[in-house]
Amino acid sequence: MDNSKVIDAQKRFTTTVENQEELQWISLAKQGDQQAFYSLYQAYHRRIYALCWRMLADKDSAEDVCQEVFVQLWQKINNFRGESKFSTWLYSVATNVVLGHLRKHKNWLQRVFSIEDKPLEEATTMPELIDSSRPTELDKNIAKLPERARLVFVLFAVEGYRHEEIAKMLGMAVGSSKSQYHRAKSLLRQWLTNEGVCDGV
Amino acid sequence: MVSKIVLPQSTKQLSEQELQAQILQLPTELSPERELWSGIEKAISDKRQDKYDDSQKQWHKAPIAWAASVVAAVLLTWGVISPQDTLNDSFNGKFQGNINLVAAMQQTFEQQKQGMLVSYGQPNLQDLTAEMQDQFKQLSSAQVTIKKALESEPNSADLLNLLRWTQQQELDLLKQLYSPQWQSI
Repeated sequence: MDNSKVIDAQKRFTTTVENQEELQWISLAKQGDQQAFYSLYQAYHRRIYALCWRMLADKDSAEDVCQEVFVQLWQKINNFRGESKFSTWLYSVATNVVLGHLRKHKNWLQRVFSIEDKPLEEATTMPELIDSSRPTELDKNIAKLPERARLVFVLFAVEGYRHEEIAKMLGMAVGSSKSQYHRAKSLLRQWLTNEGVCDGV
Repeated sequence: MVSKIVLPQSTKQLSEQELQAQILQLPTELSPERELWSGIEKAISDKRQDKYDDSQKQWHKAPIAWAASVVAAVLLTWGVISPQDTLNDSFNGKFQGNINLVAAMQQTFEQQKQGMLVSYGQPNLQDLTAEMQDQFKQLSSAQVTIKKALESEPNSADLLNLLRWTQQQELDLLKQLYSPQWQSI
């Protein structure tokens, strides 16, 4: 028998078992089972934290918002009806919580006077990791992007949202979302190239 | 004088494909440094998945009623003691500027409010008790009154502050009603 088919079958089987286990956790969590909810947390919190950290570019805020995401998940889990993948639904909840956090905490003077956001010299705080899931050089540079460019880049290039969806989420025109994405790409390519030169010295 | 950094000729700008490859290599998971579960556990133990218990929100009513009363009292006093003829041609520039500022403040407030409502799952405010709805109406009414007062007192920093304060009261009330109670973790 072809080995690749065996591997595929094993993968499908594992995925199905995982999905069934996850569906059971969801079902129990809907009934108020905190142990099942903890299992969901264990399965997803690192992915949600990665999303929060990339969007917020700040370790402490990302940790706080990651907690908020799971508290909101607990409250809203009955709204999940299985029409999409749970991970997709959870990501949309998390994205909304992050954007809500940004709206709430942005200085209103900045909003009133439209102070243009500038690239950060350094990402304020990088996650200090104790395992192999380390931020890459690209991650470190994403964290230095201006806020709007960073949000658009993360949502489009990393999370796979469409510009139309991003524009709606961020309250901007579709064209602005596209131009912020190109701005982000241009800055990242420039910074990564420069770092490559430094590394080579 | 700004010196231009000249890269060696062998150095090429990172290509689109190379950037795309780096994006694909981004780790899907990152580990938080802080242990997060205990805080979440505490918060969800305090807040079950049921609908909000309005009886727990009773304590919010008194401060909001008090705040609305203060606004009403300040505005009444304002009407009595403020000069009526401050708006003249020399102030027209500032007047226009402050009208824009008021509009910008209102826009910011609406954005913050909508953002909060979205993050709280767009709750229907009509589901609140009549008393809580009344608190929102009072704050909204106070904001309308302040904005009218600003039309005749466009340079009043106090009125602008008062407007901002009532807007913040409304946001705080939304937060108290719908935000998860985990901040004290």
